[in-house]
This record gives sequence, structure tokens and C-alpha cells, in this order.
Amino acid sequence: MTTPAADHIYATGLRNQWHPVVPSHFVAPGAMRKVTVLGEQWLLFRRSDSTLSMLADRCPHRGAPLSLGKHLGDRVACWYHGVEVRTDGTVSSVPGLPGCNLEGKKLVRSLPVREVGGAVLAYFGDEQHPDPAPLTLPEPLTDPGTDAILCYAEWNGPWRYAVENLLDPMHGAFLHHESHTMYDGDTTAKFRIRETGRGYFFEKTDQRGVNFDWVELCRTGVDWVDLSIPYPPSAGPGGPFGIVGMVCPVDESRTGVFFWRYRNVQGWQRDSWRFLYRTLIEKRHWEVLEQDRVMLEAMPADADQHENLYQHDLGVVRLRRLYRTEAEAQAAALAQTR
Amino acid sequence: MSTDWPYLDVHQSRTHEPTPYEYQLASTLEEVFTKDGHELTDVVSGLNTRQVHAPDGSPWTEESFRAEIHRLGA
Ligand code: FES
Ligand SMILES: [Fe+2]
Repeated sequence: MTTPAADHIYATGLRNQWHPVVPSHFVAPGAMRKVTVLGEQWLLFRRSDSTLSMLADRCPHRGAPLSLGKHLGDRVACWYHGVEVRTDGTVSSVPGLPGCNLEGKKLVRSLPVREVGGAVLAYFGDEQHPDPAPLTLPEPLTDPGTDAILCYAEWNGPWRYAVENLLDPMHGAFLHHESHTMYDGDTTAKFRIRETGRGYFFEKTDQRGVNFDWVELCRTGVDWVDLSIPYPPSAGPGGPFGIVGMVCPVDESRTGVFFWRYRNVQGWQRDSWRFLYRTLIEKRHWEVLEQDRVMLEAMPADADQHENLYQHDLGVVRLRRLYRTEAEAQAAALAQTR
Repeated sequence: MSTDWPYLDVHQSRTHEPTPYEYQLASTLEEVFTKDGHELTDVVSGLNTRQVHAPDGSPWTEESFRAEIHRLGA
């Protein structure tokens, strides 16, 4: 059974969980920025003390985008007729008609936000779930012994394809064969799914630590993947680097991808990695990421309708089933209350 | 800050384009890590053997390397 509502959720991103939005530095203190997430228009608003808010980008008066308005420190003034909205979504004044009954009412949706590892996360609840779901942050982003550097990029493709790409480790040995990190390892493999309390591993049964050999999907209030890729000796001490990956469903056909490259390094080893990363390695990582972008952006819109899958695609199949089921459940629950 | 879609920026961790000195130090470090090893003593002797010194021209010591790499990589 599938409904237009379920299709919409599947296409634009699951509700009732946290999603990454943009890097934190996209909204400077005292600035605001319009963003599209889950197919909806939002306004990120940062006070000069760095406090961040996220409001629906829609004036409660006649619907003009608040993002065209003026930042007034702790509120935004709509450009159209000057209505002022506080960062919690309350109308603070209607300059054209003082005392108007809009004043004091919370008429604009505002979302709970958190900032982690240089990125903004927001909770997107539906009408039945306005309160934020518990959020457990990825350990590599909170562990003091681990150093993580964020890379953010915007891709023209559905958000699911970006997540599916991460649940498909085998592409590393082919798409990234000519890369600084994934040149090695077998081009044949057997995979298995291993369930965990927070998601599942999709991993090769016969090779570890050579290429992109395993990935863990983690659903901890926000969806993220964890994986590890070997570094060549030139990258210095610290062993492999890991990736925490998250995806922002921008709309049906656009995706923001967040990759934190992390490594268990401290002291001079950490400093050496960061220095090499900035100077030489970041560009090589970027070239690998571009291979993914080129491939995913070239995928036809109906790619997932006409497939012939094999054993290596079990991780993708499992992912789709999970997201599809949840989209149906969310749509059904909303339909019941209408 | 541009709000144009898509944001595709190769360099997101830099504060400046590396200087010629920084480029040379980085590529020599990669060579040292590849050929000499991953210990601090390997790094100091590897850089000195290759005559790639600090900006003031003096040979590296463990202390001076730690301080400089912290300045460059913190
Ligand atoms: S539409 Fe915003 S003040 Fe009228
Ligand atoms: Fe890839």
C-alpha cells in the first residue's frame, strides 16, 4: 500500500527525527540565511551572541518570505508590512496596527536546533510529534581523542541515492579505484548484514582494513553512517581515517551531504594530519567525492525502478525497506487524525 | 557568503592558500612518512636530512617541530 503522502515523505525525507541543515558558518553572528529542507522553506537566524534559531520562512501576516526581511537582533521584521517575529515564532509587533490581536501570538513554526561538529542539526517533527526526538550524537564527533574535519557539498540528486551510495561499500573498489585511498583490495566480495541496537552493519565477510570494507548505519535520532578507510603511509601516524556521513534532504531532487573525516590522533600527530589535510589531502578527498557526485547526478530519475540487484546490494535493499516502511507509517498516522 | 546552489568548495579547512614553504614542508613530510617512518624522531631526522628547515633556517629539533606543526595544524 502506498499513498501520495507516503511517497512525498519518502521523496523529501523522513519526519520526526533530526537532520543536518547546513554548516554552522553559513550563518554568521547577526546574520540570517534562507534554507530549503525536506522540501520546505526555512530561515536560519543567528543573534550576535551566536544563539541560533530556525523559523518557517513565511510571514504570519500574508505569507511573504521572512528571509527578505530585516534582522533586528532578536527578531526579524517582514519587508512587506513590517510585522516583527521573535526567534521563538511569536509576533512581537504589528507596526501598522499597534495592539493588533496578532501581537503576542506564536504564529510561526520554529524548530529545535543543535550545533555539532560545525554543522546545524534541526528536528523536523510532524503535527503529532512536535517535541524533539532524543538525539545521540555520533561518538567520533564528541570523543575528545578523535579529531573530525567537516566537508560539506551540495548534490543534484535525491537524498536516498546519497545514503544508498554509503550503504554500498563495493563501489569503492571500482568507482574510486584510481584514488589515493581505495586503490587496493579485492574486486569480488561476499557481504553480510549484522543488526545492531541502533541500525546495522553491512560488511564484507572476507576483507577488513583494505578498502571501504564495511559501513554501519546508525539511527540515533539523526541518521548517520560510520565507516573507515585506510590511509597510505604518507598520511602519517594515526592509522585509517573514518567518515561520519549525514545527508540533508533538501527537496525531491537535491541533497546536502556532510562528511566528517575523522582520525584518532592527538598532539603532534593530530597537528601533522590537520596540516597535511589542509595543504594536500583535502583536495584528494574532494576528487574522490566528486566521483560519487558525478555518478549519482548522472543516475536517471527512475534508476531505482528498473534494477537487477545482486548480493552486494543487500545493504541498499535493507535501507530502502526501512525508509519506505517508515514513510508509510508516518503518512498513515497523519491520515488517521485528519 | 554566497547562497548559490550548489555549494562545491574543494577547500573548506584552509584559512589561506598555503605558502611555498608550507607546500614544501607538506610534501616532504609525506615523503618522510612514506620512507622513514611515523615516529617523531623519524620526522625530525627525515626533514633535516632533506635540508627542509624551519623558516629561520635552523635544523629541526623535536621541540621546534612540535611548535611549528602546532602553529600550522592546530
Ligand atoms: S506579509 Fe509580512 S508583514 Fe505582511
Ligand atoms: Fe564513494
